Amino acid sequence: MSETPAITTRDLAKTYKDVRALDGVSLNLAPNRIYGLLGRNGAGKTTLMSILTGQNFADRGTAEIFGHTPFEHDPTLARLCFIRESQKYPDDFKVRQAFSAAAIFFENWNEQLAQDLVKAFNLPLNRRIKKLSRGQLSAVGVIIGMASRAEITFFDEPYLGLDAVARQIFYDRLVEDFAQHPRTIVLSSHLIDEVANLLEHVIVIDQGRIIIDSEAEDLQGAAVTVTGSAQKVEEFIAGYPVIHRDALGSLASISIRARLTAEQRARAQILGLELSPVSLQQLVVRSTLSSQSDREQTTERQAIK
Amino acid sequence: MSRIMKVARMQLINKWTFIGIPLIVLAGSFLFTLAVWYLVRRGGGEGTLYGGGAQAPMWYFLALGIQALTLTFPFAMAMSVSRRSFYLGTLALFGGCAMVLAVFYYLMGLLEEATGGWGVDGRFFALQWIAENNWLTQILFYFMLTVLLFMVGFYAATLYMRWRTTGVLVFTIGLGLALLGTVALITLTESWPEVGRWLAGWTAAGVTALGAGLAVLLAGSSYLTLRKATI
Amino acid sequence: MIDDSKPIFMQISELIENDIISGTLPEESQVPSTNEFAAFYRINPATAAKGINRLVEEGLLYKKRGIGMFVAQGAPAKLRSSRREHFAKQFVTPLTAEAAKLGIEMDELIAMIKSTSAG
Repeated sequence: MSETPAITTRDLAKTYKDVRALDGVSLNLAPNRIYGLLGRNGAGKTTLMSILTGQNFADRGTAEIFGHTPFEHDPTLARLCFIRESQKYPDDFKVRQAFSAAAIFFENWNEQLAQDLVKAFNLPLNRRIKKLSRGQLSAVGVIIGMASRAEITFFDEPYLGLDAVARQIFYDRLVEDFAQHPRTIVLSSHLIDEVANLLEHVIVIDQGRIIIDSEAEDLQGAAVTVTGSAQKVEEFIAGYPVIHRDALGSLASISIRARLTAEQRARAQILGLELSPVSLQQLVVRSTLSSQSDREQTTERQAIK
Repeated sequence: MSRIMKVARMQLINKWTFIGIPLIVLAGSFLFTLAVWYLVRRGGGEGTLYGGGAQAPMWYFLALGIQALTLTFPFAMAMSVSRRSFYLGTLALFGGCAMVLAVFYYLMGLLEEATGGWGVDGRFFALQWIAENNWLTQILFYFMLTVLLFMVGFYAATLYMRWRTTGVLVFTIGLGLALLGTVALITLTESWPEVGRWLAGWTAAGVTALGAGLAVLLAGSSYLTLRKATI
Repeated sequence: MIDDSKPIFMQISELIENDIISGTLPEESQVPSTNEFAAFYRINPATAAKGINRLVEEGLLYKKRGIGMFVAQGAPAKLRSSRREHFAKQFVTPLTAEAAKLGIEMDELIAMIKSTSAG
């Protein structure tokens, strides 16, 4: 692609005291797509987004937004919006005032959208932000992120404290607004199943390392769980990369990375094996677990026994 | 509109914080002092009466300096503002407020003298040591004092943002040790009388210049500290 | 509805194909827009567009500029013939396999099929 990438990082690394938050992160994000930044809590998602928005610094490596280093570069920063999950607001601010401030800074701010969302989330505009519930606080962040219509918008675990209905409102509005006003969206989440269908590209980070960086469609249906008699399952999966094994007596349930053809599916049926798709969430969980060191895995297994 | 101006506008979104509360603090302490003076006169008190309440809004600025940073800085980051813009915008706004306050003090000082100390020979704004100087020195003195107090708060808060509690602790302990050392030195060399004479020799203009220098030093250091602060 | 078995864009094309075969979307009728699909299935609009474009490439849908996507003439017939080709692989093979596993004879199986379609 000849167009400037929205986000490029090369070998980013960041360490907090004894924690390796980022470890050699190299990424390339194209503009006007929805990216999922997935991983466990503390995997490095927030650190990565802070560095990309110039709020934090890397110990090593480079990060560029539309070809510019974001740190202290106002023209580049003006194209970004990143409300963190634990965002602080001035103590004396009311909800209404937080939106007034956002309207000052974000050039594409859409007041109508903000107001619609306030209604949808049932947010009390005149209440002080420090008196809001966790869900309402998340809603403030979501509204600023959406209504900013910034060229690159980061959502950092935007659903904390929001109930299922409110989360659905968020996802629906996001799809709707993105369709009308395409922009680059980075959605950080550990509730993967909820957002899976919105994503065009999936980045999974674990212990500061990127362990998956693929198109969503390459992950959908890219793995399958084969369940049946252990011997037959082993026979069927021979030669495929295994991402997870479970056993119960003579039964085995093994997830493999494979896109099965109709013939293979038929063969599985002949062998009496059951095939079930592996969801993105399961795939991420399995990949995360298998990316951990062997020693840790052994300890874990022993703990289970 | 530049992002620096936008920062100033953001700080002003809640007008109470910057304008309302300082005015209330000032009006409150002034009225309270007046009431006390009135009672003193009624009780037969004589001589010129002094009130230190005029400082109250300036101390409020110290608190504002802390608040502007600890709470508004993380929010400004979320508004995609660079540290430089945040710093310049905030300082410009505080500078403006301090200037307004300084001129106001000067004018009130004139009024105080014209009304014979509010009719009770009281000194609230026009403290003699300051009021005997020309208008420019007076205004600059009040301005410097307000800015200096703000910068002290702001600097302490930048230390906090950058190095959290450790930073503030190290700074406070360091400052305490330095003061203690100076006092000890003066005591051991038995030079208190000379220090006393030296202190008495300071003019308002001299104090203003010294304070301004200190404020500039704090402003410079807080910028350098803030540049690498994270939230 | 959308599941995890295969890429979403393929599921979208299949949903539209099913509607064309069943007659829910007759020839020359308008297909919902990319954004309508995206909103309805809560999927990324780009993904929905990819699913639709796949059918355009296969000549099953065509675009009227400024209006939208429409089902092409002959699309149902075209789809039926291609589905027939896959029918054996997709349905007959597993059927016979399962029958063999259960010990169902071929004659018996054929009789079952006949009685099912009669009922």
